[in-house]
Amino acid sequence: MDTSFAGRRRRDLVVAFCLAAIAAVVPLFVKDVYVQNIMVLTLMYGALSQSWNILSGYCGQISLGHALYFGIGAYTTALLFTKFGVLPWFGMLGGGIISAIIAMALGYPCFRLRGHYFVIATIVIAEIGLLLFHNWDWAGAALGIDIPVRGDSWLKFQFTRSKLPYFYFALALACVAWFVTWWLEDSKWGYWWRAVKDNPDAAESLGVVVFNSKMGAAAVSAFLVAVGGSFYAQFVSYIDPESVMGFQFSLLMALPAVLGGIGTLWGPLLGAIILIPLTELTRSFIGGSGRGVDLIVYGGLIIAISLARPQGLVGLFSPKRKEVAR
Amino acid sequence: MNITRRNVLLGATAAAAFAPLTSRAQTAEVVIGVIYPLSGASAQIGVDAQKAFETAADLINKNYDFGLPLAKGEGLPGLGGAKIRLVFADHQADPQKGRAEAERLITQEKVCAVIGTYQSSVAVTVSQICERYQIPFLSADNSSPSLHRRGLKFYFRAAPHDEMFSTAMFDFFDAMKKKGTKIETLALFHEDTIFGTDSSNAQLKLAKERGYKVVSDIKYRANSPSLTAEVQQLKAANADVLMPSSYTTDGILLVKTMAELGYKPNAIVAQDAGFSEKALYDAVGDKLEGVISRGSFSLDLAAKRPMVGKINDMFKERSGKDFNDYSSRQFMGLIVMADAINRAKSTDGDKIREALVATDMPGDVTIMPWKRVKFDETGQNNDADPVLLQYVGGKFVTIFPTQAAVAEASWPMK
Amino acid sequence: MTAETIIQSLASGLLMGLLYGLIAVGLALIFGLMDVVNFAHGEFLMIAMYVTFFLFAFFAIDPLLSAPLVAAALFVFGAVVYLLIVRFAVRAKANAGMVQIFSTFGLAIVMRGLAQYFFTPDYRSVTNSWLGGKTVSVAGIFLPVPQLVGALLAIAAFGALYLFINRTDFGRALEATREDAGAVALVGIDKNKVFALGWGLGAALVGLSGAVMAIFFYIYPDVGASFALIAYVTVALGGFGSVFGAFAGGILVGLVEATTALILPPSLKSVGIYAVYLLVVFIRPRGLFGSM
Repeated sequence: MDTSFAGRRRRDLVVAFCLAAIAAVVPLFVKDVYVQNIMVLTLMYGALSQSWNILSGYCGQISLGHALYFGIGAYTTALLFTKFGVLPWFGMLGGGIISAIIAMALGYPCFRLRGHYFVIATIVIAEIGLLLFHNWDWAGAALGIDIPVRGDSWLKFQFTRSKLPYFYFALALACVAWFVTWWLEDSKWGYWWRAVKDNPDAAESLGVVVFNSKMGAAAVSAFLVAVGGSFYAQFVSYIDPESVMGFQFSLLMALPAVLGGIGTLWGPLLGAIILIPLTELTRSFIGGSGRGVDLIVYGGLIIAISLARPQGLVGLFSPKRKEVAR
Repeated sequence: MNITRRNVLLGATAAAAFAPLTSRAQTAEVVIGVIYPLSGASAQIGVDAQKAFETAADLINKNYDFGLPLAKGEGLPGLGGAKIRLVFADHQADPQKGRAEAERLITQEKVCAVIGTYQSSVAVTVSQICERYQIPFLSADNSSPSLHRRGLKFYFRAAPHDEMFSTAMFDFFDAMKKKGTKIETLALFHEDTIFGTDSSNAQLKLAKERGYKVVSDIKYRANSPSLTAEVQQLKAANADVLMPSSYTTDGILLVKTMAELGYKPNAIVAQDAGFSEKALYDAVGDKLEGVISRGSFSLDLAAKRPMVGKINDMFKERSGKDFNDYSSRQFMGLIVMADAINRAKSTDGDKIREALVATDMPGDVTIMPWKRVKFDETGQNNDADPVLLQYVGGKFVTIFPTQAAVAEASWPMK
Repeated sequence: MTAETIIQSLASGLLMGLLYGLIAVGLALIFGLMDVVNFAHGEFLMIAMYVTFFLFAFFAIDPLLSAPLVAAALFVFGAVVYLLIVRFAVRAKANAGMVQIFSTFGLAIVMRGLAQYFFTPDYRSVTNSWLGGKTVSVAGIFLPVPQLVGALLAIAAFGALYLFINRTDFGRALEATREDAGAVALVGIDKNKVFALGWGLGAALVGLSGAVMAIFFYIYPDVGASFALIAYVTVALGGFGSVFGAFAGGILVGLVEATTALILPPSLKSVGIYAVYLLVVFIRPRGLFGSM
């Protein structure tokens, strides 16, 4: 078992490296900005979902409030830059740290809650954050923050037309999120989480250490999501509370992992590769009709996949992986 | 180094740099992108907008005998009779999606101009993208005053913004006061998105400048399940004028809740939006006899300018509705843009921009009560005089300003 | 702030709260029966409001009369949704919780799309119904008749539900299935039939609230979104699975909402509801009346 587990992990690493290398050269051949835009979003949601998966998939704490961390990341970066001229790279780090601290502060009371009580608590906490930002005049309230774009600059991480810098950043973020997950799988934490999932009573005996590891997972997950939020603020160069902290973001972070395979290493990326282009293409090419057909197709697909493959689509690619995933 | 400034210097050479875009100039059609919410909570606006734009395109592309630019003859004579083709995109009220759609329209559909967007937050990102690709963006119906103050070169707005609208309201109050009407206290009631916030900011500022007392300033969450608590506070304040800035959904609920709580304000002067929507009057019109709303359009203009009535009939045939404040601005948006493209004799972004800057369209060749269409250096048309309309006997009549008025304001409302 | 304002606020909050309870009770019932949260609950409400509207617009049936018809229509709809979708979701061998959440969530999106497709995104309203716009005033306190009737209906529905669960054979079958689905199969009760009827009943209760809501609320494809989160919070606050909890949770939510709006800017009034929810579950992790 141990050798095959170690072997699988080595194989995963090699596959990931090859995929990242292939992904890195794709935009050199695909020049269309619309397609590049979809690729950026796919990688971003893949990274976000991968980060969400650490807390919700591996740890089993299903959060539908991760938009809070996404929004905090976006707002920290945008506010620091527009109000104090702090470069977004520092804002990114700051937003990540703030989010991680908040995640731990919230995790402390929330991890006592089970099942739907926990899910609803995460939703309402994010909703409170949204309402507060909506009423916070200094942070622009509903008017949002318009980040002025003055030409291409790596220092300010803004580019007028080129999508490539954003693409490579999103790719790097996805790689980091994947690698963190990969590393956690074989760590002490990963072992405890699997033990707790297989046998909830084991949680009692492990007690405090598991609780602490969950706090750690919440912090890591929130940090990465906040970096994603910072990235989004730079990418769109305009944020308002609804567009970075709305409930739909919490769902969009969860959906790829759920469709691809929750609590699996490859699920979130696979889910994002299928879901995000589908969302974009249905909106662009059916949504213009104004008849809601895009919603029907999109929702229908979610029902079909979640019913037909409850363990996620990742099982289709590697039947052997299922045992480890569970 | 400031890229917008550089763009001005490079303006002349930019045309050459975008040769791929201009090469389509001689084709038989001119493609214009139209970005609206076509699904989601404000889909109704987007779907109505489609009809307004299609009506405008029809007028341009076919031969009609109206005194409207480009109505006579087929297509754009400046481009050898090229027809207008509209490409609609759905932004679902999301700034990121608006941005992506604008980019798609520009790079894939090769549109030479973009019109949008209803939600001001989406206009922010769409206009940014248009600026980056040097494609003119005409904001047909966004009323947020912050939009034209961002130093964008390719941003244009033919219609008034909230400060102009609010100024008209306060001018009206001043005029009423001179006639001896008691107007001292105001109650503001606004939703918490960009529209309500901008509107209330403008109103607060004007109230202070002109010496009106704001006795109640209520900001509420858009699409709330209940507005009872909010209405109670309005009732307790009992101001001389209630000034709501609400979309249709909240407007309906506001009026119903007011009736249920026995609150009958002395007068309502609304910041348009929901209060110009047919759906609101279908639902609660009986309780709104005498309500005043600002607007940039009024159907009674048809008496002076018969084509307004005829064009309205064309729109009604498609949509089943009369022109309202939004659909009329959307309609004019395409006319103004097409007129500029026609004069530019090109589909190159810079040339169209130059033509837009040179626009000087007299008000009587539009369907609006505007003085004229002429953009200032920020891209705003300051001659788009707003009007105040009063809902009397199931339809709107213009009551202010005096040169456009067809009736006296009845005050207080019934 | 006068005493009158406060009493008026509390009275309005109570009426609204009872209505929230009625909207939420279907959710509580279904969860109590089979541990499933229906994330399309708001869309069920939307469908109920549309049914009420069309019955009014085409057949001039007043919402007060059509309420039983709407409830019946929703009963069928709920049972069909169970048989076509939820039945398979609960069977899922892996990630059952996530599958339920996302299959019902997908259903919510499809229902919105279908509503937009067939009913257009136009805003509809039931005008000139018997109760619409009527209001009674007691000592300066105004009580809108539609909400008053809604509140009475909510109390009646909760009473009937209580009797139904405790006094009828089917109610006992529901209880038994809920306690041990495996064992009831042995005594010859078809689990699927019970679940389908449970979903029908839960949806019928939403139908009832939808008919009342249609009197004073606007109707459009996204209308459910405004109420869905409140319904979930109401049920969780009262304790998942407890029908009485939904009733109490609804009243509490209504009162908290009204009180918050007196203290904070009204745009923050939901914050009060959410804060109370968090406070309650941090002290009692199973809600007010949930089984511990």
